[in-house]
Amino acid sequence: MASAAAPATPADVASQGAQWVQSMRDAVSSMTKGEKKDEDESYSPFRGVEKSTVLQESRCFNDRELNPRKCITILTKILWLLSQGDKLSRLETTDIFFGVTKLLQNKDAQMRRLLYLMLKELKPSPEEVIIVCATLTKDMNSKIELNRGNAIRVLGAIIAATDPTLLAQIERHLKEALVDRNAFVAASALVSGIHLMSVNGEVVKRWVNEVQTALQSDNQSVQYHALALLNQIKRQDRLAVSKVVASLTRTPLKSPMAQCLLIRYARGVMEEQGAEQRDRALYDYLESALRHKSDMVIYEAATAICSLTGVTQRELAPAVTVLQLFLCSPKPSLRFAAVRTLNKVAMVHPLAVTPCNMDMEGLINDSNRSIATLAITTLLKTGSESGVERLMKQITSFMSEIADEFKIVVVDAIRAMCLKFPQKHRVLMTFLSNVLREEGGFQYKKAIVDTILVIIARVPEAKEAGLGHLCEFIEDCEFTLLSTQILHLIGVEGPSTGEPSKYIRFIYNRVVLENATVRASAISALAKFGIQLETLRPSVIVLLQRCLYDNDDEVRDRVTFFVALLKGLQEGRSGLGGLDGKTMLEPLPVPLEAIERSCREYMAIEGGTDEPFSLSAVTVDAEMLKRQMRTQAAAEKAASGGLSGFVTDEIVSPPASKLKSSEGEADLLSKLPQFVHVGQRFASSKPVALSETGTEYEVQCIKHVYASHLLLQFKLNNTLEDQLLEQVTIAVDLTNTPGLVLDSELKCESLPYGTPADCFVCLRRVEGVPVGSMACTLKYIVKDVEPGKEPDPSETGYDDQYNLEELELAAADFMKPLAVVDFREVWSTVGADAEVVETFSLTYPSLQAAMTEVVSFLGMQPCDGSEKIPDGSRTHTVLVSGLFLGGVQVFAIVNLRVDTPKAVGMRLTVRSADMAVSKFVAEAVA
Amino acid sequence: MGLFKMLLSSLGLSSNSKKVRIVCVGLDNSGKTTIIAHLKPKKAVTQEIVPTVGFNVEEFQKSGLYFTIFDMSGQGRYRNLWEHYYKDVGGIIFCIDSTDALRMCVAKDELEQMLQHQDLRSVPLLFFANKMDLPTAKQPVECVSLLELDRITDKPWHIAASNALTGEGIDAGIAWLADQMQRAWRK
Repeated sequence: MASAAAPATPADVASQGAQWVQSMRDAVSSMTKGEKKDEDESYSPFRGVEKSTVLQESRCFNDRELNPRKCITILTKILWLLSQGDKLSRLETTDIFFGVTKLLQNKDAQMRRLLYLMLKELKPSPEEVIIVCATLTKDMNSKIELNRGNAIRVLGAIIAATDPTLLAQIERHLKEALVDRNAFVAASALVSGIHLMSVNGEVVKRWVNEVQTALQSDNQSVQYHALALLNQIKRQDRLAVSKVVASLTRTPLKSPMAQCLLIRYARGVMEEQGAEQRDRALYDYLESALRHKSDMVIYEAATAICSLTGVTQRELAPAVTVLQLFLCSPKPSLRFAAVRTLNKVAMVHPLAVTPCNMDMEGLINDSNRSIATLAITTLLKTGSESGVERLMKQITSFMSEIADEFKIVVVDAIRAMCLKFPQKHRVLMTFLSNVLREEGGFQYKKAIVDTILVIIARVPEAKEAGLGHLCEFIEDCEFTLLSTQILHLIGVEGPSTGEPSKYIRFIYNRVVLENATVRASAISALAKFGIQLETLRPSVIVLLQRCLYDNDDEVRDRVTFFVALLKGLQEGRSGLGGLDGKTMLEPLPVPLEAIERSCREYMAIEGGTDEPFSLSAVTVDAEMLKRQMRTQAAAEKAASGGLSGFVTDEIVSPPASKLKSSEGEADLLSKLPQFVHVGQRFASSKPVALSETGTEYEVQCIKHVYASHLLLQFKLNNTLEDQLLEQVTIAVDLTNTPGLVLDSELKCESLPYGTPADCFVCLRRVEGVPVGSMACTLKYIVKDVEPGKEPDPSETGYDDQYNLEELELAAADFMKPLAVVDFREVWSTVGADAEVVETFSLTYPSLQAAMTEVVSFLGMQPCDGSEKIPDGSRTHTVLVSGLFLGGVQVFAIVNLRVDTPKAVGMRLTVRSADMAVSKFVAEAVA
Repeated sequence: MGLFKMLLSSLGLSSNSKKVRIVCVGLDNSGKTTIIAHLKPKKAVTQEIVPTVGFNVEEFQKSGLYFTIFDMSGQGRYRNLWEHYYKDVGGIIFCIDSTDALRMCVAKDELEQMLQHQDLRSVPLLFFANKMDLPTAKQPVECVSLLELDRITDKPWHIAASNALTGEGIDAGIAWLADQMQRAWRK
């Protein structure tokens, strides 16, 4: 019967076996091949594993006869793919997940372990994952420890990720597991507790007794995790934490890991106590930990002491002694850790580190470059004046061996040193000029140049030598930015040196050899010599005249200007067009940013104007000054931080990142030449979604309001992988808003999948303030593309359109929130000439809801803290103010009163300088 | 699996009886877990039966076959998970609470959805009209007409009256299922 009745099963098994043998043979052969090819490179058994093949293979999870060995291979492959960042789609995850649940019936221990891992890594959706809960709960009570611990971990992870309320169901099991005799099980339960603490802390807090018991465990891992969980549980209560720490410090823990954790917590408690009333006992505990037998604990204690705020020299001493011993340790990791900590200490307490200097000098030649760099920078911070020469000699031999980022650190340290010992500038300058000549990236060169600039500014004696080095550097400098910076400096400083004429040659060489930007700045620098030094003036004019036919506009402009100016000075006239030569040397009276803006405004005046542009008309608003000061402060801070920091990252963060996004958008707009004519932006709305997220094309609209224009910026996102949209425009139906006409539009040329782009529609306001809704339609040419491939250029595509939701134009769009300081005062000054009073009944459940809605509807700013409603009050008055389109200030008093539980009565009193505006605002709410 | 066994089974000489996978479905509280508890070796029966969350797997030997039964949870929110276990099954057990006239139409909906599933072509279907000990229980014939079982033409099906508490009728039903599966292989 068997042979006749079951042809499927044996054949399956046989083919599986054959497959397996084949794959093993392949693996072995490829392994030997790989080794032959490259013996140093470790061979990865997963090379060439592809998602689609693995998914195909994973179908064997559904086989009637499971082959654990094969399943293990496939599971490993899937886990590897997941760890490599391969994303599985929803459907694929579901498939694999249910395949995996079928494997749970098998008893193979090795496979089971992988299955647990898989269930955790796969992250199936909450609706599906529930299916394994029963199985896992069963495993939690199984006799096999491995299963018990793993099941606890997986179930904990699942509960934390899906439904925290499930915890109550398994709480009993977890509590038992916490005090399980097996360390693995207990540790698993503790770790789950730590994870669950954040989602369902109430339940976990009830486990305190069990956790306390676990803390007494002999096992290192259990003790460590128990301490971590205990701290998590008590975290909210500072007093409880300090009590726990205090009691534990008296009875030392056995596990070094737990000991380290305790040191960290102790440090935290000490930090909270502050430097004055610090607990002596805790410090004694840290000091006693310095004598622990484990290196890990000793280091942890030493760093804890070193990082205490307001630590005294005497308290530091034992920690530094210990670190000094570490400096001579044969283990590189210990040496690194010690020198790194000492480096940090040296920033604050250079004297405390001085005893280690001898040991650190030995580390300069350490084969590990990170250790050597840290040692050098520490030495530079702590070193004495007499040791500078010796140190520099050592560094010179070492500079060529390290990477750029380390070099930057060294250069920063040298800058700090030079400021400390100005007499040594000669040695340091020579060193800097040497390294400047070597190969290096922009960041590195910039650091050196900056350092020289700082030294020149602070140490007057170093100026001539420094300028000389810089001049040599620009002879062969590939970085335009640095060249212009140096040329500017030479222009400012050069004329006042003893022998100014020698710089002329360097500058003129730039004019002959470099690109346009450098040429332009060289011309300016040259001219500065000419303006200041009468003796050199004729020669400068000759040199400049040679450049009159330069092929770059900017260079020619500058030359023409300067030649005229200098000739004027030569002939004794007072300069050009009232411009005194000295004006050119002084910094601009107003920030560049403000001038740029004023220029833009000037250009945007419609129909042009006869009035000339004047610098004195440039206004600087407080906002801009503040921003500039902030940037400067940040730059200074970064510069001083750079002196002490270990790794200097980007020194000056771009100030733009601090601006609000809407301002960022406005910056973008000002770059679009098509829309220069609309003038200065009045206000921008928040982005409004015109389609739901997740639909084929996502569209958001930002309304920018200008004096007489309305610019609609549509942010487009194509979510279809197989489509390319071209010539995308938005058709706006203006029939409901008669006051608007279409002015121009800017289409989006191409909108590929996943790259958001913008398209613009500019509307002109003919009359009144248009309020209403506009129907919008997305129009475009669709081209089909294969995902991941270049689009076929021959394909023409076809026209299509896509209806969007209506775009609402409300009164708030034309209003800019503007806070005033003393509302009542302003209110009475405006007077009741243009006052409009309206009463409304609104359906809102609470005062708060009504107020928020009304304020956002008006688009005005609540003043004098009136937006806060005291609890339980039944009436409230909000004072709001705003700037209406055209610069009319509008003020309003909103009286709210709770009429019924569902309705709120409102009286709106609006005042402004213009009756029409007041009326408009009051009616906007209706 | 050892090489020798593999050789044996490829020649059809293996003494190992064949493994089959069964999925047991039905509405909540229809008695699926109780039925399966009865099929298991005796020691496990004493345990109290609680609503299943997700699924349970049970294995036992009966009628010369190794059964692996996936006992699915019948609660409303888990029913859409049944279909993930239809692939490569040897048979389906559908358990009906024959006292629950009110929800017979729900059972019918679930059944129809299941019958349409493409993984279940010509898989034998065994219905248990359960809870026969209760006075309000409907006879199997009534269940057939209520669920319109007579319209199933593409699969072999069978309905057995059962009382899972005592085990009455269960073995007979399983015997039919085993027989159907053996017959399918012989073809």
